[in-house]
Amino acid sequence: MTESGLPGLDPVIHAQARLRVTVALAGLRSDDQITFPRLQQLLEMTAGNLSTHLRKLEDAEYVQITKAHEHRTPVTLVRLTAKGRAAFEAYTQALHRLLDATGGS
Amino acid sequence: MDDDETPPLSAEESLDLIARQSERMRRELGASPARLLGVWAFAWLVGWGLVYLADSSHAKPLMPGWVAAIVVAVLFVAAIVYSIFYGTRVNRGIRGPSRLVGAMYGWSWMLSFGALTLVNLRVMAVGELAPSTISLLWSGTSLLVTGALYLAGGMLWQDKLQYGFGVWIIVCSGASVLVGVPGNFLVLCLAGGGGFLVAALVYYVRERRGRPLGARRR
Repeated sequence: MTESGLPGLDPVIHAQARLRVTVALAGLRSDDQITFPRLQQLLEMTAGNLSTHLRKLEDAEYVQITKAHEHRTPVTLVRLTAKGRAAFEAYTQALHRLLDATGGS
Repeated sequence: MDDDETPPLSAEESLDLIARQSERMRRELGASPARLLGVWAFAWLVGWGLVYLADSSHAKPLMPGWVAAIVVAVLFVAAIVYSIFYGTRVNRGIRGPSRLVGAMYGWSWMLSFGALTLVNLRVMAVGELAPSTISLLWSGTSLLVTGALYLAGGMLWQDKLQYGFGVWIIVCSGASVLVGVPGNFLVLCLAGGGGFLVAALVYYVRERRGRPLGARRR
């Protein structure tokens, strides 16, 4: 884990690319999954970059990655876990607290 | 590139990034159907407007009634094709309840209007109705079913605007049979098509303004 730079913020989420991945997944309804290519299109990330960050989120159990077959074609499905959703909410609350504390708007 | 090496974000930058990405998700996942409603507004305003102007009760009908009927058919088929394209595009790559609900909702339109056509054709066949009665039958029932399906959409996506639009279209359904022919075409055009246009504009303005943080789900 690297130093996040701001105290009290979840270092798994507090990095530009992973934050964007988390926001995108949090924008889905809670039981929905998204295919890897569509997620990639929504985030405009390279496949390699997205995989790297998804793996880190998966290691933290924030994201669940499922491999399935549809019409004999393999598909990778991604969803935010309940733990991931809760961590994201805690993260945004922490951001608001930080801003309130520093008097920023 | 490993993002952990980029400089850490400040709290403001993080919130800004969250807002931008959420906005993009809302747009791409179809939370704002402004364009879809705009297409239907065009079909209703132009199509039913021409049918009204072509009605034989006018001293100088704009065009023969059958020409207007063909224009309406073409506009509606085009709008249906666009709706199917829109629905599948929004849902591509999504698996789970949203996709199922979306597909069920799309099929509800097909099934309802299929059955409505059958019922009305059968009533016309056995009822020996006057042309003006037939006209009222179609405008009344099609507005009623359209309105009821928007009520359902409002419930499914917990969207008060969509529900309100459904209520409006149902009111139009009643109004269309009360005003009679050719006023019913004017109700379809101005109140129905105008309703679509207003709904499209409201969604468009909302989309431009962006919604407050925290309203992540559609």
